[in-house]
Amino acid sequence: MEVTFDRHSLLIDGKRIFIKSGAFHYFRTPGYEMALDRFAKMKAGGYNTVDIYFNWNYHSQKQGEYDFTGVKDVRKVLQAAKKIGLFVIARPGPFINGEVNAGGLPFWLLKMEDVIPRNRIGTEYHYSEKYMQYIEEWYDQIIPIIRDFDNVILFQIENEYATDTMEEDYMRQLYKMARDKGITCPIFHNDAYFAGLWADVVDIYALDLYPYINPNQNWKQDNFCFDTLDNVEEIFRGAKENSPPFIAEMQAGWFDKWDGSGYKHIRDALEDKHINIMTKTALSQGVTLFNHYMAVGGTSWDDLACDEVYTSYEFTAPIDEFGIPQSNFFKAKEINYFLDSFDFTNTDPVPFEFSQENIYTKLRHDNINNCDWLFIRNMNPNKVEIELPFGKDISLNPYDMKICPINLKLKGCDIEFSDVEIFARLFDENEEVIFMIADKNAQIHIKNHGILSGDRNDYDNITFRQDNKKTQFVFLTKKLADRSWLLKDKLIFNADYVLPNGAIALEKNTEIAYFDLKHKFAKKYYVTDKIKNYDKPQIVDDFKIDFCSPEIDLHYDYSNWRKIGAKTDSLSCGLYDEFVWYKAQIPDNLEEITLSARHLFAVYINGKEVLNRNSYKIEKLQEVPETISIPLDQHILSQDINELTILVQNLGFDKGFSGDTNCPRGLVTFETKPDIPVEFSVCEKLSIERGDNSESDNPYLTKITLNFDVELNSDIFFAKYLSLENFWYRRATIFLNGVKIGRYIKRTHVQEKFYLINEFLKPHNTLEIVIWEKDRNIRSAWGFKSDMKNVIIQICTQKMYQLFK
Amino acid sequence: MVVVPEFLIRRVYKKGSLKKLDNGASFELKNVLGPGFISGFNYVKINDTVFEANEVKFITAGQELLGQDVSEANPVAFRLGQEGTLVMTGKPCVIDGTNKITVEVMNPEAGKVQLNVEDSMA
Repeated sequence: MEVTFDRHSLLIDGKRIFIKSGAFHYFRTPGYEMALDRFAKMKAGGYNTVDIYFNWNYHSQKQGEYDFTGVKDVRKVLQAAKKIGLFVIARPGPFINGEVNAGGLPFWLLKMEDVIPRNRIGTEYHYSEKYMQYIEEWYDQIIPIIRDFDNVILFQIENEYATDTMEEDYMRQLYKMARDKGITCPIFHNDAYFAGLWADVVDIYALDLYPYINPNQNWKQDNFCFDTLDNVEEIFRGAKENSPPFIAEMQAGWFDKWDGSGYKHIRDALEDKHINIMTKTALSQGVTLFNHYMAVGGTSWDDLACDEVYTSYEFTAPIDEFGIPQSNFFKAKEINYFLDSFDFTNTDPVPFEFSQENIYTKLRHDNINNCDWLFIRNMNPNKVEIELPFGKDISLNPYDMKICPINLKLKGCDIEFSDVEIFARLFDENEEVIFMIADKNAQIHIKNHGILSGDRNDYDNITFRQDNKKTQFVFLTKKLADRSWLLKDKLIFNADYVLPNGAIALEKNTEIAYFDLKHKFAKKYYVTDKIKNYDKPQIVDDFKIDFCSPEIDLHYDYSNWRKIGAKTDSLSCGLYDEFVWYKAQIPDNLEEITLSARHLFAVYINGKEVLNRNSYKIEKLQEVPETISIPLDQHILSQDINELTILVQNLGFDKGFSGDTNCPRGLVTFETKPDIPVEFSVCEKLSIERGDNSESDNPYLTKITLNFDVELNSDIFFAKYLSLENFWYRRATIFLNGVKIGRYIKRTHVQEKFYLINEFLKPHNTLEIVIWEKDRNIRSAWGFKSDMKNVIIQICTQKMYQLFK
Repeated sequence: MVVVPEFLIRRVYKKGSLKKLDNGASFELKNVLGPGFISGFNYVKINDTVFEANEVKFITAGQELLGQDVSEANPVAFRLGQEGTLVMTGKPCVIDGTNKITVEVMNPEAGKVQLNVEDSMA
């Protein structure tokens, strides 16, 4: 496959292609089957490309070791994309951000001497030869895999990179490395500052655009947030005259943080209006390559998350974390189908004199369809009547945007102007059927035939003929359009979703309609006989309780743990796991210990808790350091030689966008008064992860185990979750069949539903929840067991669809 | 640590706009970075003279704002392409020749943003 480009668009084997891409994280949606499912839904929604970050850290847990097996088999992911018929934008970093741990850089790399991650400290450039050598190692692993797939059409180097002085040798070296290792498609970089950065280093200049990055902001009220997008064509042309306008990351949602407002708030704030404005404004600016970031939400299972984000990386994406299409998916589908109906790959701006408060307009001439398209947006909080300079009127709802054809020549008639929007088009040489979205305030002006009202019911239609050719307009209400699916030369109506292989997904008994040019309309009734009552949660009250922190106990044998030196932080000690245990002996004459640890930690002396602390705090994108002193007395130091245990939970390394990836974690500092040397021994992981079955009676960390069954059936798509909505403990770590699938912290209330990732589900499942409780009322194992009687744990089904193939 | 590289921030300052006032100075800014908010004026420093927020006025979009009145709760919008003048009063500060200027403001998303430039009197 030969990929070239000119100032308008990408050309694949000489043919102009409009790139409608969506971002997908294979590491957050693990396994071939899940990738296949999400890609199929993307394709059904009109996307033709999937954007994939390749996460170095995910594949290289230890220096010199790379794992591309099982759920980490990226060949399978690329095979899934190929099977579904999607092009791929490959983004192997080395740094990827994506709110992943350390921005995707391997932990082992962060501590290496002479390695300066991303060749910068802060925003100052510091070239590191050693770093480049390790990148070469990563590229040697990942590029041969990428190279094997001819559907890879674009390749990105680095990610949103800039330094104060913009030396070019790093970026030029990455470019050369990619080429030397056999990348033949165009190479690009995504400029986060829309300043033409690296335009001379790469083949195609691209930028990222996120007008809404602060969930406290009201994007409708502060509508100037689209200022950059509204002028983006000028930025592209200024940066690189002969490459097509490419938005490498175009906002389709946003991520939530530990101290955030929750995904519901973000989804409610963005609605489907934001993606509509983003995408249509981009088209108005001549963009012919866009990538919705994200198209598919995911789950930061295991230790995937950076410190900023919690387990769900739902991102309010068009396809949510559970794999369910949302309202912004239906809006994206509408636009994608429109772009399949009329080739938009070669347009030029046309001067258009018009001014009205909070109304954005842009006119473009379409060199392929030989017509004009008017892009018009209303950012007023009320419906607005707009008189256009060429004598036509439009009524536009608040925060709505439309693409209106002007002098569009069709087979059976000509559209003079229309503000009834086009949904999809099926056509052959002599006939076309254009599906329009009914709108009671809109009209279609047909040349020599008058005006058609857009106030229509489902399937209302009208036909025009000229020169033995025929154009039929068929109207669909917005509700039906959301449930209508374009499948090659056919439209399928009233389905929850349809897969590219023709499978129809239904939640309940439904009459489905079909249309194609040859057979016209047909109908079929489907009975969802395999869906049983799924909306009833399964309440689990039969669980086993184990006390699973023997490390805390006095006289616990830790003689086989590793002894460390004065530097106790996780990078210095090579301890990258979420949980790290520290144990040491201290004398009885200490007055005080002072420590700083990241992020959550507890201090136990002689088996008793003396401090339990959440020191996670980020303000203005920066960590807030915290040092705590604990006064000691004879009561606490009750032995001649006392046993000190510290458990630290690391919520992840910095993602590296504004901070440093290698900010220390674990026990960062430790001092005693009077000052004495303390020799720590260390061990990673919780005992259940280590397979250490020794138990204790201390109630500080408690594991509850429960079992549940699921029916796995290839005719059913389902998404299940664990509900901790009625769970009052402060912290928990959740394991599904031995795989860590969630971190729960009550204080933040941001996540109480945990996706039971389909890839890890079996017919018979074991769920283990390790509770790290602080409640001082619970002093004993007995107390805990008694308390647990009131806990309600539910296994729920988010959605279930029967697939008719 | 700033998110935005220094060379980009410097583009916000309108070179040659520095003016000496009777008892202070003024210069102009233009937002060429992207739309956003200023949620605080920390200080302006010209050579060795520091002007706190209460000694700084920001004139933009027909409004005159005292630096101390701009806060997280009361941010000021600074659109792409928007211009503004910073006026510092109370102390002489401008010298003949090259002047070192530092402006430190707060942004809700980026945190502390510091602009460092050198300019001579217009």
